[in-house]
Amino acid sequence: MSPSFGRGAMTNSWSDLQNSECFLIAGSNCAENHPIAMRWINKAKEKGAKVIVVDPRFTRTASQADIFAQIRPGADIAYLGAIIKHIIDNKLYDADYVSNYTNALVKINKDFKFDSGLFSGFDAKTKKYNMDSWAYQLDDQKKPVKAASFDDPDSVFSKLKEHFSRYTFETAENISGIPAAKIKEIADTFCSAKPATILYALGMTQHTTAVQGIRCYAIIQLLLGNVGKAGGGINALRGEPNVQGSTDMANLYNNLPGYLPAPNHTDKTLRDYLVHNGSFQQKHIVSMLKAWFGEKATKDNDYCFGYMPKFNSGVNASMARVWDLVNKGQFKMVINIGSNSLVSIPNRAVVRQGLAKLDMLVVADLFETETAQFWREPGVNPADIKTEVIFLPAAFVYEKDGSLTNSSRWIQWKDAAIKPLGDAKPDLDILDLLYKRVKKLYEGSTDPKDEPIFNARWDYGEEPKAIKVLQELGGYDETTGKVLPTLADYLKAPVGAVSSGCWIYAGVTGNGNLAAKRKNDDPSGLGLFRNWSFAWPGNIRILYNRASCDANGQPVDSKRKLVWWDAANQVWAGNDGADVVDKTKGPDTPEGKQAFRMNPEGIGRLFAAKYTSGMPATPPADGLPPIGIRPAGVCNDGPIPEFYEPVESPTENILHPQVSSNPAVVMPATLPEVQKVGKKQDFPYVLTTYGVTEHFCAGGITRNIPVLNELMPEPFAEISKNLAKKIGLNDGDKVELSSARGKVQVRCLVTDRIQSYKVNGKETETIGMPWSWGFASLSPGPSANELTIGVIDPTAGTPEYKCCLVNLRRA
Amino acid sequence: MLFGQPKEGLEMTKKMILVDTSKCTGCKACSAACKEWNDLPAEKTTLVKSYQSMKDFTPNTYTYITFEEKYENSKLQWLFRKAQCFHCSEPACLKACTSNAISKTDYGFVVIDREKCIGCGYCVENCPFSVPKVDKVANKASKCTGCTDRVENDLKPACVSICQPGALDYGDMDAMMDKAKKRLAEVQKKYPMANLYGEKEMGGTTYKYILLDVPKAYGLTANVSAPLSLTLWKDLIRPVGTWAMGGAAAAVLVGVLTNAVKGNYKKDPIADQSEPEKGGKH
Repeated sequence: MSPSFGRGAMTNSWSDLQNSECFLIAGSNCAENHPIAMRWINKAKEKGAKVIVVDPRFTRTASQADIFAQIRPGADIAYLGAIIKHIIDNKLYDADYVSNYTNALVKINKDFKFDSGLFSGFDAKTKKYNMDSWAYQLDDQKKPVKAASFDDPDSVFSKLKEHFSRYTFETAENISGIPAAKIKEIADTFCSAKPATILYALGMTQHTTAVQGIRCYAIIQLLLGNVGKAGGGINALRGEPNVQGSTDMANLYNNLPGYLPAPNHTDKTLRDYLVHNGSFQQKHIVSMLKAWFGEKATKDNDYCFGYMPKFNSGVNASMARVWDLVNKGQFKMVINIGSNSLVSIPNRAVVRQGLAKLDMLVVADLFETETAQFWREPGVNPADIKTEVIFLPAAFVYEKDGSLTNSSRWIQWKDAAIKPLGDAKPDLDILDLLYKRVKKLYEGSTDPKDEPIFNARWDYGEEPKAIKVLQELGGYDETTGKVLPTLADYLKAPVGAVSSGCWIYAGVTGNGNLAAKRKNDDPSGLGLFRNWSFAWPGNIRILYNRASCDANGQPVDSKRKLVWWDAANQVWAGNDGADVVDKTKGPDTPEGKQAFRMNPEGIGRLFAAKYTSGMPATPPADGLPPIGIRPAGVCNDGPIPEFYEPVESPTENILHPQVSSNPAVVMPATLPEVQKVGKKQDFPYVLTTYGVTEHFCAGGITRNIPVLNELMPEPFAEISKNLAKKIGLNDGDKVELSSARGKVQVRCLVTDRIQSYKVNGKETETIGMPWSWGFASLSPGPSANELTIGVIDPTAGTPEYKCCLVNLRRA
Repeated sequence: MLFGQPKEGLEMTKKMILVDTSKCTGCKACSAACKEWNDLPAEKTTLVKSYQSMKDFTPNTYTYITFEEKYENSKLQWLFRKAQCFHCSEPACLKACTSNAISKTDYGFVVIDREKCIGCGYCVENCPFSVPKVDKVANKASKCTGCTDRVENDLKPACVSICQPGALDYGDMDAMMDKAKKRLAEVQKKYPMANLYGEKEMGGTTYKYILLDVPKAYGLTANVSAPLSLTLWKDLIRPVGTWAMGGAAAAVLVGVLTNAVKGNYKKDPIADQSEPEKGGKH
């Protein structure tokens, strides 16, 4: 989403789902994993909205669908590509929207090519792309050149048209297993409804083509003019109550809070960082450093930029890959908070072996999770393990104050309902104790490398208060020490005069604790609820809502008016806060035209071009590298989505057999004996893994709650009746599933909800298995991640949990 | 607010709970909420079929969801139904109860007074839906209470209050019937076989269902009423018999009917399945 729209967040909100006329739910089993979604979807359905569900299995969500299509896991881009082709061929796109608010007319560098599965610039040795040819044609002011019409052969629109011309409904059927007629029915239904929205979650992201699948969604929604509108957008459903919050706080290894890029090993100074990341980041990184180091961060000492750890840009340290590094001996100690890695990481043998190589493991959790007692796993001999394991009892969500940021970007404050049991402590208290203890241990040190520990601003109180943390995120005026009233005050202040621990949260504690607001009035009836909590950025409820207006700044949908240009008062007014550069700049100004202000071009990106805005026309006189304003987000595996087979696939890629799977995917090879890739001859069936509503993620909590164990007592292998017949299995029989990496035994669930299907003319079978179990807890069971493959998407780093190859036999 | 003490000033009108299966996603939150509110211990289970984890009610399980997978003409329907006591207008259990332990509240909920219950099991045998279960140790029957301790304090039943998709709705009977009929007309556009279950059954039930398919597809029987033997026994023979008949004749008749009421003549499983007046397993 970030390379398309400029922000990596769900565009609309839960309560906005009621405004939609049509839902494409693909890569999400929201009835199962986000039950609250169904409340709002059902409201829309009552008004006549249609629901389309595409999934490898007939799920609880599918039970609510008007149209259901069973897809082969990992084949999404094939049918989505066919929908894009259908939109272009039949001119179903919103021509005004596409010309005004997307880069459809911008001309692409003449060196850009796509041939036999590879984009221009591929280096076969490093498996990386040089993206220079994925750029715009620039004028002498370094501004993108626009074509006069969509038909210009250099235009983004023409590139899209050409690229997707190969994706006929028939080709899509051959790849995905969805009948061509059904794909057409989906396309017709979705394209004829306005506004229409797309819902996705991990079913779409846990592939080696994760980012490109979401890019297809972005292209479809931009072409149809559905982004920025009530009832439209792309709703990336966040699987945990605070996933959005944790991503905002930089849970991705290459981010800093507020989605600032993390500095890498070449960024020796703040200037180097700005050369890479643009001057736009200067304010934000400096205010973050001011939040971290307070008055110690000054212009003269580069705002303590030197204190920051830098990551090596050649090393992928995403969650799945960190365990490779642990196995290589690069870490002596792991502190594991809020994760049950031994259950949740793909090809979990890598975690099992890695944990045994550590000197020390610290786990903070509610229950003694599998990770915390890895040395007790059946088959592991505790005597062989030297790792010292320390378990810290953590408080549960209801036992601590703090905020949760939901999928709608609402920062919602809550007070603790009860005191933690026994010695359990909130995470904040655990980290506070840890920091204070470490600081004490370093007392008296004169080593410059220890300076960050002494110079940190750590002022959450004797007993740390979560509200102090939220205030730090919301920001302070560093000259007066007062909390910043609003995002506007933050943006107006000069660099270095304000602090904010996470700039997108600026103003959240400005006029009282806005996250604690609980007025549920909804004057517009659009489910905006602007007096309930605080949504980043600046309490805007629907992102990119400038695009809900025409070129004159007036709403195109009279039933769902979000914002509009109030000419009398010369201001962007509306039911929602306007997502514009400057509320006083009208639709006739360059700023007032921008619907996607977080993209350097200010427009939506059908083609994810390499581009930095504001580059000087002539190089700086001092000979230093120039600093632009902002580089655009790019995808490491191509500017336009292309279908690639999963790394373990039951078939060949019929579009380009010589480049079958994603060429930019790097195979993990730290532990060759367990990091293996299976062949379809040995492992003929496709395995897909998922959660069930009764258990939460890796089950560390829910498998210790007896009622939930009663409701979903065991993991299982879901198989089609055909496959059961072929192997001679009855419902409930015990089976063994095996992959190139491991095997598990579970009972089989024989069902009509998975059907055999044809891929490239060959009968194919999908097997499903929920992944929430492990050897410990009140409800122990085999982990599906014994089987899965640890390959990751080259841009996002998400592992391919959703498809690998397995064999099945009676156990 | 204290629970168990009716809130003053509440209007005692008949209530209804509409289970709109077109909105149900089978998430089982109702089951969990029921266990929590009623403080019922969890049970050890395995999957019965599909995602269903309970075969039947137990003394500790008042509600569960049935999962039926129906595949016809390349179209699949996954039918979910929340099963619990229907809280009948003419409850067979109440009629069969030998110790006056079962009563009907002003709201229309059928409740068992554990103090009075002697665990005879007549309610179990006579419920056409086989809902009540007798705890063999405590020797008491139990079933869904309709959360009377909540509704008499102006709270919705626990299952209704937790339902996220909005499949459960609670309110005054008249208003809810209105809603149900309107909703049914809407649902029938997509599911022509959709019907309102519980309108006629057992004199009308408190829990009513919008079913997407014929009752049989859910293991239910349409137009179910109290077992004939029970009606004969309670409404006809016993009141008449006690004064009109004397001696051996009455004793024989009472004996036969008592056995009928207790279900002793229903041992043949084939006869069991074909019984027209039975409401089905659940």
